[in-house]
Amino acid sequence: MHSIWAIATNTIKQAVRMKVAAVFLILLFVLLPVMGFSATGDGTLKGRLQTFVSYGLSLTSFLLCLLTIIISIYSVTSDIEQRQIYTVITKPIRRFEFLLGKLLGVVLLDVVLLSLFATIIYTITIYIPEFLNTTEAERIQANNEFFTARAALTVPAVDVSREVEDTYRKLERSNALPDNISHEEIIARLTMQKQLAKRAADVGQVLVWEFDNVKPRDPNGNLFIKFKYDVAVNPPDMQVYGRWFAGDYQYIRYGTESETPIYDRIHKHSVRNFHEIAVPVDVVPEHGHLAVAFLNDPLNNTVIFFPPDGIEVLYKADTFTGNFVRAVLLILFRLIFLACLGILASTFLSFPVAILLCLVLFSTACVSGFVIESFSFMSENISVIYSYTIKLVIQLLPKFDKFNPTNFLVPARLLSWSLLAECAAVMVCIKAFLLLLLALLIFHFREIAKIIV
Amino acid sequence: MEYAVETFSLTKIFSDWWGRAKVYAVDDLNLQVHHNEVFGLLGPNGSGKTTILKMLLGLLYPTKGRALVLGGDGADPKINSRIGFLPEESYLYRYLNARETLDFYGRLFGLSAKVRKTRIEALLDMVGLTAVANRPVGTFSKGMARRIGLAQALINDPDLLILDEPTTGLDPIGTRQIKDLIRKLVERGKTVLLCSHLLADVEDVCDRIAILYGGKIHTQGRVRDLLQQTNKRQITTDAISDATIEKIKQLIRNEDADCVVTSPMDKLETFFIKTVAAAQQQAQATSGAVSTTKISDFLTRQTTSEDILDKLASAMVSQEGSPESATTEKVVPVESSESQPDEQLLSKLTGSAEPSQLEPVVRDEKVTAQPVESEAAQAEQIKKNILDRLTGRSRSQGEDEEQTDKLQAGDVGDA
Ligand SMILES: Nc1ncnc2c1ncn2[C@@H]1O[C@H](COP(=O)(O)OP(=O)(O)OP(=O)(O)O)[C@@H](O)[C@H]1O
Ligand SMILES: [Mg+2]
Repeated sequence: MHSIWAIATNTIKQAVRMKVAAVFLILLFVLLPVMGFSATGDGTLKGRLQTFVSYGLSLTSFLLCLLTIIISIYSVTSDIEQRQIYTVITKPIRRFEFLLGKLLGVVLLDVVLLSLFATIIYTITIYIPEFLNTTEAERIQANNEFFTARAALTVPAVDVSREVEDTYRKLERSNALPDNISHEEIIARLTMQKQLAKRAADVGQVLVWEFDNVKPRDPNGNLFIKFKYDVAVNPPDMQVYGRWFAGDYQYIRYGTESETPIYDRIHKHSVRNFHEIAVPVDVVPEHGHLAVAFLNDPLNNTVIFFPPDGIEVLYKADTFTGNFVRAVLLILFRLIFLACLGILASTFLSFPVAILLCLVLFSTACVSGFVIESFSFMSENISVIYSYTIKLVIQLLPKFDKFNPTNFLVPARLLSWSLLAECAAVMVCIKAFLLLLLALLIFHFREIAKIIV
Repeated sequence: MEYAVETFSLTKIFSDWWGRAKVYAVDDLNLQVHHNEVFGLLGPNGSGKTTILKMLLGLLYPTKGRALVLGGDGADPKINSRIGFLPEESYLYRYLNARETLDFYGRLFGLSAKVRKTRIEALLDMVGLTAVANRPVGTFSKGMARRIGLAQALINDPDLLILDEPTTGLDPIGTRQIKDLIRKLVERGKTVLLCSHLLADVEDVCDRIAILYGGKIHTQGRVRDLLQQTNKRQITTDAISDATIEKIKQLIRNEDADCVVTSPMDKLETFFIKTVAAAQQQAQATSGAVSTTKISDFLTRQTTSEDILDKLASAMVSQEGSPESATTEKVVPVESSESQPDEQLLSKLTGSAEPSQLEPVVRDEKVTAQPVESEAAQAEQIKKNILDRLTGRSRSQGEDEEQTDKLQAGDVGDA
């Protein structure tokens, strides 16, 4: 243990004294406050806060990721290439202790830098409303929609496979199937049609959504119904009326007596934009089973439908601070993964090659969703073996875009502990650990003094 | 565990990336280094010396055969904790200063903070870098870096010291000091394995040597056996009259043998040490290493009672202060023809430095003859002078009397 610690502190000294870290520090110190003042977003206080937090955290995360890759690779490869390792590894230290020491040093440095910058960003964010001339309304909006951590309840796509099958058979029987389209294509189109129908309301028609397990944190606060209208025929002023209900599902579904109040109001909103309606939390029944209903008001004369992600119920589930801390932890997991990756690369590659490899993997991981999608699309056309090997490798990549902290902080979404734990388990405990294990294995059997030209 | 280092048909073949173009760096090597001896590996560049050491320490894996170091595997931490290693060049962390460098290595050995502190100060003092201990080692000159490298190899008070060309880049005082140190360590029961190109140094310190060529041992044996000219004898006397010399010559002629009479030359090493000692006495400023011939206390005797290593080691220390214990040089015949260049160099040096201190020493007469038996007796007085200067300086800096004694012990016998 003492030798791991000796290596770790030496690695930190190296990063500090070789001024690798200093460059990043100066960049951040200059950029963060500048962004605090220059980031205006859409001009409202909320917009300003959102832009600052998203740019600030993204920049910090990006620079620290680069720093982690560079330092973890440099500190191992320079020891090997400049041969300081000859005197180190011949001391009573095991090879895995050497690598663990390097890893510990990099991670500790990350922890320090990350907490420093997270604190700066947090402080600036908290004080932005104080320093700016803001209206009361803007502050309320910022408090409701930014300085909070809201759990979002979404509606899963309705299962329509039965109906699709029925329709298909009907068409088949009546010989109405078009023959220039494949079976899969027909099913896909039918499914889309049926699902759209489930989300559409004709004039005077009602749509009901149910949400279970609604547990707002603050009994005097609000729930928010967030939605977006799509219309079949554009209304003259691009606005439609909607009558919204919220309350105990039994009352809304079956009209039984309800102990909790029922929300019932008509709103006028523009189409094709997201809007939020604030509903007092006391409409949520004791058992947490809430229903929200929408009535296409007879004043409209168009079918209204909701896009697939067009309806959500949001409520405050935690504080902004709690969410911010978890978001920062998310960045830390990412850094730990990259440190392990860097150390693995440097056990068998030279500095420039290792850097290149890690940067490529890092950028791939940042758009992992896109990559996975495009490969699964490709795999329909290319050979099975190829698609399976590539797919496996890509599955091993961490999903930095899925666990992106700004995805949570900007829309003030709750980043739950369970999601954080999932990220820790997958990214750190499995993927990073595998990389580290591989690194230890390679390093254990490698000839230290072998010169690779 | 009969040998400190033993190899069994150790072979290293370097091949390129495709597995072609083979280099037989070490070829079927069977080497035995006894405990408590100084073993020297000699050989031209590329003869495989460094490769052997790397294989002993597990930095390279043998293609064939195996090596036992202190009875075990050289990559095993247990064995490593008893080894000191100085690589071919001093590969140090440029951004650490001298003290931090030693502290770092000390921590790798798990030495307690207290032991580390005393040892680091002692080692820095010994290698003469106390004054520059807070400068990053990246800014050090080659020899200064070498000194740190050496201190690093000694921080655990090793049982086996593996030195790859220890004296390259070192000034003569540093070289002298390393040689003294090596002898001291061997007196305490340690073993030293070294490679060097400086034959004079090897000759001075090594008990046994092996000469490598193309990865194979070509000659090995005791230095004394390999070098002694059994058909010659040498007598060294104090200054005596020409008449006596004539008598001696006559006696020798009676035996039908030839004889040459010369005044022995100071070795350039001795002369250099003398000059630097004079400069140090004048307390001239230097930003380089301050060479002394001191050897750290913990390497020669018990310093901290709680340190087991030191305790064990101290048991092996033979009594200090006895002049014969520290003899590091054998007397070798100096041919008058060979001494000519030295003499020229000396007079050149004399011209540039203060004349008062640099008069050539012609105090002793030397008689080389055959086949008369003679045991080495060297210019005691010169050594006394040098030591007095060195120790005088130490005393003026407030160091204790014991230290002075030790210094003398370390240097008596020098010529
Ligand atoms: N990593 C390596 N890859 C290929 N060949 C090597 C490697 N290391 C050493 N060699 C070769 O092995 C041979 C022995 O090298 P080694 O360094 O042991 O020589 P040496 O005796 O220490 O020489 P020197 O006196 O110059 O230090 C040389 O021919 C060298 O080119
Ligand atoms: Mg060599």
